[in-house]
Amino acid sequence: MSASALYWKSRRQFVNGLKSLRYQSRFKVMFVCCFAAFCELGLLLLFMAGFRVLGMFGGIGGFIVGRLFSLFFLGIGMMLVVSGLVTSYATLFRSEEIPFLTTRPLSTSRIVVYKFMETVFFASWAFFFIIIPYVGAYAWHRGLPLHFALWTLLFSLPFLVLCCGLGAICVLLIVRWVPRGRAWRLLIIGAIAIVAAAAWAYTHRVYDPSADARLNLSRVIPGVMLASNILLPNTWVAEGIMSLTRGEWFRGMMMGGVLFSTAAVVFMGVEWIGSLLLYECWQRTLVGSSGRTGTGRFFARLEWLLRPLKPDTRAIVMKDVKTFFRDPIQWSQALVFFGLLGLYFANLGSFDYSILGAYWVNTMAFLNVFSVSAVVCSLGARFIYPQLSLEGQGFWILGLSPTSMRRIVLAKFGTALAGMLSVSVPLMMLSAAMLETAAAVRVTAVGLACVVSFAVCGLSIGLGAVFIDLKQRNPAAIVSGFGGTLNLVLTLGFMLAVILPFGVVFHVHATGRMVQHELWRGVFMATAWACVLCAGFTALPLVLGIRSLHRRDF
Amino acid sequence: MIPMIEIDHLTKDFGRIVAVRDLCLSVPAGEIFCFLGPNGAGKTTTIKMLTGLLRPTAGSARIGGLDIQRDPVEAKKLMGYIPDMPYLYERLTPEDFFIFTGDLYRVPRDKVLEEREKSFELFGINDYRYTLIKDLSHGMRQRLIYAATLLHEPRVLFVDEPLIGLDPYTIRLIKDLLREKSRGGMTVFLTTHILALAEDIGDRIGIILEGRLHALGTLGELLERGGGRNLEEVFLKLTAKPGRL
Repeated sequence: MSASALYWKSRRQFVNGLKSLRYQSRFKVMFVCCFAAFCELGLLLLFMAGFRVLGMFGGIGGFIVGRLFSLFFLGIGMMLVVSGLVTSYATLFRSEEIPFLTTRPLSTSRIVVYKFMETVFFASWAFFFIIIPYVGAYAWHRGLPLHFALWTLLFSLPFLVLCCGLGAICVLLIVRWVPRGRAWRLLIIGAIAIVAAAAWAYTHRVYDPSADARLNLSRVIPGVMLASNILLPNTWVAEGIMSLTRGEWFRGMMMGGVLFSTAAVVFMGVEWIGSLLLYECWQRTLVGSSGRTGTGRFFARLEWLLRPLKPDTRAIVMKDVKTFFRDPIQWSQALVFFGLLGLYFANLGSFDYSILGAYWVNTMAFLNVFSVSAVVCSLGARFIYPQLSLEGQGFWILGLSPTSMRRIVLAKFGTALAGMLSVSVPLMMLSAAMLETAAAVRVTAVGLACVVSFAVCGLSIGLGAVFIDLKQRNPAAIVSGFGGTLNLVLTLGFMLAVILPFGVVFHVHATGRMVQHELWRGVFMATAWACVLCAGFTALPLVLGIRSLHRRDF
Repeated sequence: MIPMIEIDHLTKDFGRIVAVRDLCLSVPAGEIFCFLGPNGAGKTTTIKMLTGLLRPTAGSARIGGLDIQRDPVEAKKLMGYIPDMPYLYERLTPEDFFIFTGDLYRVPRDKVLEEREKSFELFGINDYRYTLIKDLSHGMRQRLIYAATLLHEPRVLFVDEPLIGLDPYTIRLIKDLLREKSRGGMTVFLTTHILALAEDIGDRIGIILEGRLHALGTLGELLERGGGRNLEEVFLKLTAKPGRL
């Protein structure tokens, strides 16, 4: 009865959540739904275009498409493990529900299983937003029958459990046994770096050119060898789905059987390890890390550097920086973010663009500017937008202090901008250098990184103030609301509006349809347009945000 | 009388800080035991060890004869716990939460529905039964947690700061309820800073200071031992320390 009570409770929470949508603004609900549908459609069209381009290459294109299905699940699987890691830490050790459940007559294994199911749901639901359009585009490209979707769904579910389970097991083992001393931490980080370097070296081995096409392909698309490894679950998923779609029942069922049984073993492993370790781990987290922050010297130096600021502004900046670094959820998600960026850069280094024509070189260069700018927009949406809302119930402290709202908002903006520029500019410089783009394109790319950073910080802080939600303590929930969605839409729109003119000008010039002096005139006009837009998108939201905070009761 | 709570040399340290030192105590069935002490004295740590939230560094605690560490599930069936800032599921309604709690403790659904009507009436929750918990005031949430915690008729009730944020009517209601339940055989172990509450309803009072049980007895015994006119004077005298008012 008690286990079913937990699931009954979750269902009621879900139903009540849906019912409460009735009391939300219809425009708000429609806006979020339309944005989600628009994103799905956009992704579907993008994947379809990608497959069409690959199809144009003929034989090698078909070979790549065949491998992409497995590679896609490898990527999803890796992200799911990391997502499971972060989410299970939050559900098992940061959730206020755990003390509540611990004082109820529930066994630890029941709590673990219940929280693990929650982890699987929270860690994976967003991946369906990627899986559905990808699978749709793949089916369209290969002309696959409808039951392909059914097999994909059936194989995806155990795959999610398996990957999230690995993440959850890692978290339990890390929390239980990873020592807390600084030296130990450095040792573990060093070990992880060595393993990552070894993995990198393995995937970038020099292959014999006489070897088969798959080996040569692995030089172009890193991970293709790994993705085809029959011992990995992504291969079971890809092979299983394709075998069943082709009507090869025995092979499909065998792959399915291997996948299901492995997922079941991992599930049992989570339950067993969890029932043994959860209470112990939880006690460890309760004993606390106060007095062990270890970043005291860094904060002292930062405070010294911030001496020119007024004391109240400096206090706000220091509080924000300290809060960020002392919140494992925040910095662990930032680490995941930068881990994915690392993968992106690893891929950039693998492609040899110099052999391509001017058309493709320019296209790649500006696609890279779009990619890095999109990363900046995502960073803004995820980490900067919720900043004011995360002040939470403590906002009255700022509200009562003899500091104007203008200064609070500007301090937040300054902190966010400094952080954002320190990420966006090096990223843009590094990626442009890896692509060996022309000097003019490089300077433009770095300038665009600055412009996008300004506007993203202005929009995220300004809209964060307008749509402030002091009751919500979960940053992910703050981001997924109406204000967060609007912020993401506006930042992405701004990004397109400022990058496209530069892209068009350079593209026309690269294809020989524009002479040099016309190029500079075009660049000048695009720069003026970008500056005007940047000023508007930075200043206006900040002004609106300050006004909104002035009008609020705290 | 049969002891419902037995604390045997209970100790808890957080690294270099020892929150509770070698605590020994026995609370019989039907007693209201008030645990007093200044901030940081170890009251909440003790209650957390007794409810199984914290593992003791040394010693043991038994609830109704069951060791809370060795037999946690059975021990928890016997008790109820009301923390000072209770966690409630924000997207459940009071009705949902009541049913959920009943199912957790395996209370038959008929009884849950019957008790729900009585409790909601008693605690004045009827008008809010379909409101999401996130929209309830602090006082209303406290009333709900009392109603839900008493549903499975625990033999031992732990209450951490029972009167925080409650209006005078609810305070009166809670005091009467605790008295009535203790007369019916329920053991109540509560921590509070409100000395008048301890004077009012406590059968016995324990004063904890720096993790050690400093004084224990009925109100009369403490007044006699401390030589004060009321509990406030005795408390201040017993817990006096240089630098503390």
